[in-house]
Amino acid sequence: MALVELRGVSKSFTKGEETITPLDEVDLDIQAGEFVSLMGPSGTGKSTLLNLISGIDRPDRGTISVDGVEVTGLSRSKLADWRAANLGYIFQTHNLIPVLTTYENVELPTLLLKLSKSQRRQRVELALEAVGLTDRANHYPRQLSGGQEQRVGIARAIVAHPKVVVADEPTGSLDAQTSEQIQTLLQRLNRELDITLLMVTHDRDVAGIASRKLVLDQGKFVDSETAITMGV
Amino acid sequence: MLLPWEYGVRNLARRPLRTMLTLAALSTVILLVFVVVGFIRGLEKSLSISGDRDVVLVYSVNSEENIENSAIAARTPALLAASVEGTQQRFGVTHVSPEMYLGTRVNTDENNGGLGLVRGVTTGAPLVRRSVKLIDGKWPSSGEVIVGQLAAAKLGYDKQDLAIGKQVVFENKTWEIVGQFAAGGAACESEIWCNLADLQTATKRQDLTVVALLLEPGSSTAEIELFCKERTDLELRALGETDYYQSLQQHYKPVRILAWLVVLLVSGAGVFAGLNMMYGAVAGRVREIATLQAIGYRRRAILLSIVQEGVLLAAAASLIAGAIALVLMNGLAIRFTMGAFTLRIDSVAVLFGCGIGLLLGVLGALPPAIKALRAKVAVSLKAV
Ligand SMILES: Nc1ncnc2c1ncn2[C@@H]1O[C@H](COP(=O)(O)OP(=O)(O)OP(=O)(O)O)[C@@H](O)[C@H]1O
Ligand SMILES: [Mg+2]
Repeated sequence: MALVELRGVSKSFTKGEETITPLDEVDLDIQAGEFVSLMGPSGTGKSTLLNLISGIDRPDRGTISVDGVEVTGLSRSKLADWRAANLGYIFQTHNLIPVLTTYENVELPTLLLKLSKSQRRQRVELALEAVGLTDRANHYPRQLSGGQEQRVGIARAIVAHPKVVVADEPTGSLDAQTSEQIQTLLQRLNRELDITLLMVTHDRDVAGIASRKLVLDQGKFVDSETAITMGV
Repeated sequence: MLLPWEYGVRNLARRPLRTMLTLAALSTVILLVFVVVGFIRGLEKSLSISGDRDVVLVYSVNSEENIENSAIAARTPALLAASVEGTQQRFGVTHVSPEMYLGTRVNTDENNGGLGLVRGVTTGAPLVRRSVKLIDGKWPSSGEVIVGQLAAAKLGYDKQDLAIGKQVVFENKTWEIVGQFAAGGAACESEIWCNLADLQTATKRQDLTVVALLLEPGSSTAEIELFCKERTDLELRALGETDYYQSLQQHYKPVRILAWLVVLLVSGAGVFAGLNMMYGAVAGRVREIATLQAIGYRRRAILLSIVQEGVLLAAAASLIAGAIALVLMNGLAIRFTMGAFTLRIDSVAVLFGCGIGLLLGVLGALPPAIKALRAKVAVSLKAV
């Protein structure tokens, strides 16, 4: 059984008269340890897909399970608990809490787990080490560069040792050089820490670091070769 | 699981100017609540301790509730002493206090026009008015007066102007102050006492206002009441002193209701100050709140954290207001028609002020918090 399983997942939005269906009877399997990239034209439902997998939003039809747990069947508060233990979310704009230091931002998810103080400390230090920010632990987000902020965001996403980490355009707002750093970091996390990653990107080079490339268009997955000929 | 405490604390420092302004507004509101509650407490206390359960007041049946309007015959005390049992007696002295009581202009060298309360008394007064204690000076003889602790406040004069050795003028006569008395906060603390005979001469009156009798422990007012009823020619009525002040409490009910209304309105204004700040604070944090939910924080935890912010601010405001109230306002004398009393910032007032303060924090933070948490996480994550 795959780590992440989507079966017949549909999601549509109504805006006035118009109904958009970003996801139309979608099936998807992601194996443990995989690094999957997801591309597609703007507005096709990539973010929507990540939100469904992370239980932030609910599908209209279909089921999503992660590591055997049917996410779509959980109540809102159960979902929150589930996310805390099983899912990491990397945002395009890091979304750090400005009033908390690097250390405290990374510590946030661990406060939701049953850990001792020293275990928690160890986790946070390991995560900070993984993203190379040990020396910035006591800095506030405003004292960090954009790339550093994104690395804190990544540390926060992996600190709870989640089963899956989803990333929505993690390099979308970074310059080329910083983007490259983040790509290397994500690749390392996948290879060395065996973190399962699903990453949305608009950049074909960034998508290239993944072990598998998906393209979403018109509510369906198309294989990447077709997508290239389509010019996506 | 709750969000770390630091989150709420530091969020308050995020917009320091607005936080300070709200703190000032909340402190003012809570201070006002303190003052009004202190006012009510002071008034209630002054009326409730004014009555002595063993004292019966006999006054004119025509004076309605207002003893000041009463006029009774000068022979009433003698008649009462002769016809009624149950009055306390010791060493052959019956504990009866014939008194003349009036509101009149009281002037000093420095001040004019203050309306004071003057009571002409005999040596029977301290026997019956047991709460009265001379705290300085001596008992007045002819042409002399003693002043209650709050008499200056009642007149609106400086306390020094009623110091021992000074002179006061009322009823076209000059009197020398020879003593000061306290009465444990009872209403008579705002009065000026002089010799009954002197006052009768000065006012060219022979009548009395009231006769106060101290009952023996265990006896009831019934006999005196019966006497008053039977001797219709005397036109007297008898009322226990506690009952009298109880009826005054009744009389001041509208004032108290008004005061509570002020508390309510002022608190309402405080809620708006809190709401205004918390709406602003939360509105700028939509994405952050969504992020916390995406991380796995339950909505209830986030709600509590936001409420904690409001409560923290309100608690600080309560502390400031409480300190100001205790240091500057407690014991402040208030002039009032029936006398004067002091603001009492007692435990009840403190509890009440702080309670209102916390309520302001909670009520100010809840609606914005609920609004922020109602929004869909997926949508809020895209908010700017
Ligand atoms: N809450 C919503 N209400 C209405 N429409 C929505 C909502 N969320 C998303 N949509 C619509 O669904 C479609 C897919 O949105 P989504 O954000 O998933 O696209 P995307 O593939 O991530 O696009 P981009 O590459 O620009 O980030 C869009 O057309 C969007 O307008
Ligand atoms: Mg998107």
